[in-house]
Amino acid sequence: MACVYIPVQNSEEEVRVALDQLPRDASDILDILKAEQAPLDLWLIIAREYFKQGKIEQFRQILEEGSSPEIDEYYAEVRYERIAILNALGAYYTYLGKIETKNRKIETKHREKEEHFIMATQYYNKASRIDVHEPSTWVGKGQLLLAKGEVEQASSAFKIVLDADRDNVPALLGQACAEFNRGRFSDSLELYKRALQVYPDCPGAVRLGIGLCRYKLGQFEKARRAFQRALQLDPENVEALVALAIMDLHPNEASGIRKGMQKMQRAFEIYPYCAMALNYLANHFFFTGQHFLVEQLTETALAVTNHGPTKSHSYYNLARSYHSKGDYEKSGLYYMASVKEINKPHEFIFPYYGLGQVQLKLGDFRSALTNFEKVLEIYPDNCETLKSLGHIYVQLGQIEKGQEFMKKAAKIDARDAEAFTDLGELLISSDTSAALEAFKTARTLMKKGGQEVPIEVLNNIGVLHFEKEEFELAQQVFMEALGDGIWLTLLDNKVNIYAIDASASILQYKDMQLFRRLEEDGHSVELPWNKVTVLFNLARLLEQFNNTEAASILYRVILFKYPDYIDAYLRLAAISKARNNLQLSIELVNEALKVNGKYPTALSMLGDLELKNDDWVKAKETFRAASDATDGKDSYATLSLGNWNYYAALRNEKRAPKLEATHLEKAKELYTRVLIQHTSNLYAANGAGVVLAEKGHFDVSKDIFTQVQEAASGSVFVQMADVWINLAHVYFAQGNFALAVKMYQNCLRKFYHNTDAQILLYLARTHYEAEQWQDCKKTLLRAIHLAPSNYTLRFDAGVAMQKFSASTLQKTKRTADEVRSTVAELENAVRVFSQLSAGSNLHLHGFDEKKINTHVEYCKHLLEAAKVHREAAEREEQQNRQRQEAARQVALAEEARRKAEEQKKYLLEKRKQEDEQKRVRQLEENFERVKEQWKSSTSASKRRERPENDDEEGGHSEKRRRKGGKRKRKDKSSRSRYETQEEEADMMDDQDELEDEDANMNYRETTHQMDDQDDAAGENAQDLLAAAGLEDSDAEDEMAAPSSTAVRRRQALSESDDDEQPNPIRDNTDSDGEVRDDNDKPDEDAGLDDD
Amino acid sequence: MKLAGLKSTENAHDESVWAATWVPATDNRPALLLTGSLDETVKLWRADELDLERTNTGHCLGVVSVAAHPSGVIAASASLDSFVRVFDVDTNASIATLEAPPSEVWQMQFDPKGTTLAVAGGGSASVKLWDTATWKLIASLSIPRPEGPKPSDKSNSKKFVLSVAWSPDGRRLACGSMDGTISVFDVARAKFMHHLEGHSMPVRSLVYSPIDARVLFSASDDTHVHMYDAEGKSLVGAMSGHTSWVLSVDVSPDGAAIATGSSDRTVRLWDLSMRAAVQTMSNHTDQVWGVSFRPVGCNGNRGGRLASVSDDKSISLYGYS
Repeated sequence: MACVYIPVQNSEEEVRVALDQLPRDASDILDILKAEQAPLDLWLIIAREYFKQGKIEQFRQILEEGSSPEIDEYYAEVRYERIAILNALGAYYTYLGKIETKNRKIETKHREKEEHFIMATQYYNKASRIDVHEPSTWVGKGQLLLAKGEVEQASSAFKIVLDADRDNVPALLGQACAEFNRGRFSDSLELYKRALQVYPDCPGAVRLGIGLCRYKLGQFEKARRAFQRALQLDPENVEALVALAIMDLHPNEASGIRKGMQKMQRAFEIYPYCAMALNYLANHFFFTGQHFLVEQLTETALAVTNHGPTKSHSYYNLARSYHSKGDYEKSGLYYMASVKEINKPHEFIFPYYGLGQVQLKLGDFRSALTNFEKVLEIYPDNCETLKSLGHIYVQLGQIEKGQEFMKKAAKIDARDAEAFTDLGELLISSDTSAALEAFKTARTLMKKGGQEVPIEVLNNIGVLHFEKEEFELAQQVFMEALGDGIWLTLLDNKVNIYAIDASASILQYKDMQLFRRLEEDGHSVELPWNKVTVLFNLARLLEQFNNTEAASILYRVILFKYPDYIDAYLRLAAISKARNNLQLSIELVNEALKVNGKYPTALSMLGDLELKNDDWVKAKETFRAASDATDGKDSYATLSLGNWNYYAALRNEKRAPKLEATHLEKAKELYTRVLIQHTSNLYAANGAGVVLAEKGHFDVSKDIFTQVQEAASGSVFVQMADVWINLAHVYFAQGNFALAVKMYQNCLRKFYHNTDAQILLYLARTHYEAEQWQDCKKTLLRAIHLAPSNYTLRFDAGVAMQKFSASTLQKTKRTADEVRSTVAELENAVRVFSQLSAGSNLHLHGFDEKKINTHVEYCKHLLEAAKVHREAAEREEQQNRQRQEAARQVALAEEARRKAEEQKKYLLEKRKQEDEQKRVRQLEENFERVKEQWKSSTSASKRRERPENDDEEGGHSEKRRRKGGKRKRKDKSSRSRYETQEEEADMMDDQDELEDEDANMNYRETTHQMDDQDDAAGENAQDLLAAAGLEDSDAEDEMAAPSSTAVRRRQALSESDDDEQPNPIRDNTDSDGEVRDDNDKPDEDAGLDDD
Repeated sequence: MKLAGLKSTENAHDESVWAATWVPATDNRPALLLTGSLDETVKLWRADELDLERTNTGHCLGVVSVAAHPSGVIAASASLDSFVRVFDVDTNASIATLEAPPSEVWQMQFDPKGTTLAVAGGGSASVKLWDTATWKLIASLSIPRPEGPKPSDKSNSKKFVLSVAWSPDGRRLACGSMDGTISVFDVARAKFMHHLEGHSMPVRSLVYSPIDARVLFSASDDTHVHMYDAEGKSLVGAMSGHTSWVLSVDVSPDGAAIATGSSDRTVRLWDLSMRAAVQTMSNHTDQVWGVSFRPVGCNGNRGGRLASVSDDKSISLYGYS
């Protein structure tokens, strides 16, 4: 046991003080020291001992006493010891100050720290006053400056010492430390080395310094040896142990980590309060998932260390631990604490990343953004950070910037499938092609890496192909995603062997027997949850291929296994709706509503179906419910309500203008509301256009329709036939028939496969207005062929033929052929009307018999007239023919005469020639006379032309005669025209208002489809129009039920109105001045007066 | 099995061609193709070059259906004005003009023995049967009105009869209506038997399988072709694939395939063993109103033939093998 002996003054005796038994009260010792005037080095020894034992108070008491003025006075000669005491005090305060440096948190402590440093400075200055050259004082000062962080000055202090004695070990060490702090590791290393040379037995700390320098210089092997040597010298050297452990850990190899952790553990066992070791242990346990240990260790570490970076590390560990446990609030706080301990982000960046993640999780995007950006500054190529930033920018709405980051991330690590997946997900909403590329790259990478491609990625690829209309590819991908399963059996058409009872087949889309039977037959009907979506998408695709049967089986298998899958119900409902099986469709939607009674899509669909089913009140309630379910934010429901109001405005057969106006106003308000929410909602715009057109603002509505049409044609997913029709209606209303016709025709071809009788009716009406009777008739015949049970069309065809005939008979110039075709047409019209008349007894349609009979009578009457005309025309023709014949006869006679003449002449000539020959032979000298005869033969050839001229003259006279005939005919025609006009005038009054209604009806019909908007359920409303047409005639039937003739008449008229427009009276009335036969069938007029 | 395009005649008619059938071969000539059109004419064509044999006029409004007697000697054509004209195929001599007002005329078919002509009667909700010897109306097979308190006009108009088909044994007659139901009659007793349900849109064409008197094929506006067991009242299969109305269906003489024509402008060939479309012909540019397989004749018809007619005014001929 170490002892000190305090010599007793004036004696040879000594007081023996056992160093481990120093009295608790330092005053006792002080008394002895003072009393015996013990040498100052004893004071120092005792003070140091107290310090070693941690009795700081006693230590300070002794030293302070030892540096008191009395002592200075008394021991004035003993300079070195006095300096030593002062230096010791200086060092002590430096230490205190250093501790405080680390505890920067509190303001008061900060001040204390300053005070400590001031004290230390005072002591050192005092020491300096005793001896300026004392190296230990300078070393002390240097240490103080180092502690204060004034590295340059510290270095110069050490330099003073070293200049005096270049082998001063403490100064060397001090300088080395200064150099180390200045980052000049090689200089520092040199200094350490010299210290070692000068003082080979110096403590392990020097080796540690060398090791650290080497480590910093990257000479890991040498560093390791230095640490090991330090450890040899002092097996308990925790720092060396920790340093070695860190070096073991860093290469990140399993064996290294194990060794490293063993060392850490030993360090922990030796000295449980080494923060560094604690942090590393905590780190280790974090990775092994022992969060409890992590917390304990880091808490200890935090308690024992004041070193900023270490604390930061500890906080980081703690934060991470909470982070991984999902306690974002707490982990956020600790990350924050960790970040606070860091001066510059590049010292320790991880907490920033962690903090960013937590903030991202908590939705604080801006803060997360700044943190991630800090990380990116240091690691500009860090994929994870780039991806996180990308996500944040997307969340913040800066899509382009987000994509930029994502693309960068994907570019940096071209083998990171995840980056591409993320990129793809990001791009889905903005750029489907690029997204598809990204997903495909991801898939290829995963395949190359031998990884199984996740179903989600395949699903996304499939959907993107689907959206790009690459259906085959989409199918391949979906099948790949699905792999093997029951669906293969289902798609193989093998299930069709199970026949369904035809009477039960009305429920075929609800049938689940199929799967039970399959199960009974030993197939296992299994559907893993992660494949449901893919299967659903495949079914959608099959629908696209029009393979609705297979699609329905897939939807049903989904429902068989997952009866809560609402969308499958809705698709099945949509399929049966498309097949016009409304009852089944409603049942299916109700199934969906059983799962979730507030599902807005299902409610909207139900409303739609109810409307189709003519259940107006219910439909309105359902639409309301749908709207309420989404707080009015669902534009579909709002639009549906708008449409409802619109239909309601025009539906009422007893037209109440006030009610109509309210409904229209309401509809307009609803459309506008949707437009405010979604400025680009085509359906709302279309609706608004319709309301405007309804009010007669054709120019505005035309603009709207044109824009909607342009917008709609840009997307393959929007099928807006109605806007085409509406536009055509506007053209029609503005009298631009040619364009209207083109528009209707294009619409028919583009959207309806030419199958829509209603549009054909519009088309026919346009032809009618344009007075293209034959086109009108042909169009109506086509419509009848498409919709055979729509008798209205037959009536219209009859009217068209009647009109055609009347107008032909009115014409001033007619050929017999025209009249003949008029007669034929009238006969057809009579037949059509008669058939309708006969049919009306059987209540096949809602026409009034009387009305039809009026038409029959009128046509018959026209027919009579026309027959007369025909006969006249035929007679005329006959006469003409006869005349022509006669003329021809004349011509022929002429010809014959001419020919005979010629013959005669020929013979004459021949004879003459013969004579001549004779004469020549006989009388050559008579040559002159022969010449004369030749001349006479040429004049005969001139005469030959004359008969042709005669022919011409005959032609002229014929024409003249024809003209005369025409005049006669004109007289007759004026009569018939008069009748027509009579009729028109009679009908005009009714028609004027009815025409409006009719136009309205057209609009109403077409807008039926508007509700077919974005279509979450994707129901296809192509048949809506057809159904609307049917519904309409049904309505007519209902209306016909009351036997009031007046009402019925009106309906019939309103129907016929499709075609019977009041013709503007043309003013070629000059012929009206001519003779009129007023006695022409007065009963006909009387019949019409009944109107 | 497959179809191979042989010949296509553009502008075969002046207007849409709405009906087509094959007139069976007689002793002195091969089978002829008979077509009817909106242009009010009926034309006879000689295969395989589609040479025009003759143009029959005399109809008003469009010709909606044509039918040929199994003997190949006489044929019938019907137009929208509800007249049926029966004529001698070789001479075009009118044999009879049939009408049964107020019933309209839609699809027609001679029974396999040739003693009766069945005519779909449209809004009269009945099928009219005409004796081919006397040309007298012998029966009117009416679809019973659905039970209910008020048999309204509405439901009646939905039973509008569009199509008829005789079973190969001549004992059954099926008719399809606007509302999608198919009614089956026992001809001998002139009695309604039952409905076949499954369609909810107009059934425009029906045909029995020549090899199984129970199997009936139906084409509907709901884009589906159904295959029924007409006796057992069960739906054997539903085939989907057309993107628009299926307007016409015919079964191949060997009973192994059916062909369909649709508003989607295609002609499809379906393999009945797979119940799937095996071929899609898209040479027409408008709705295909009629498809017809040439019956197998005794005098050496080489290979099967299918004809299709369309709104695009053209006729197409395919080899079927």
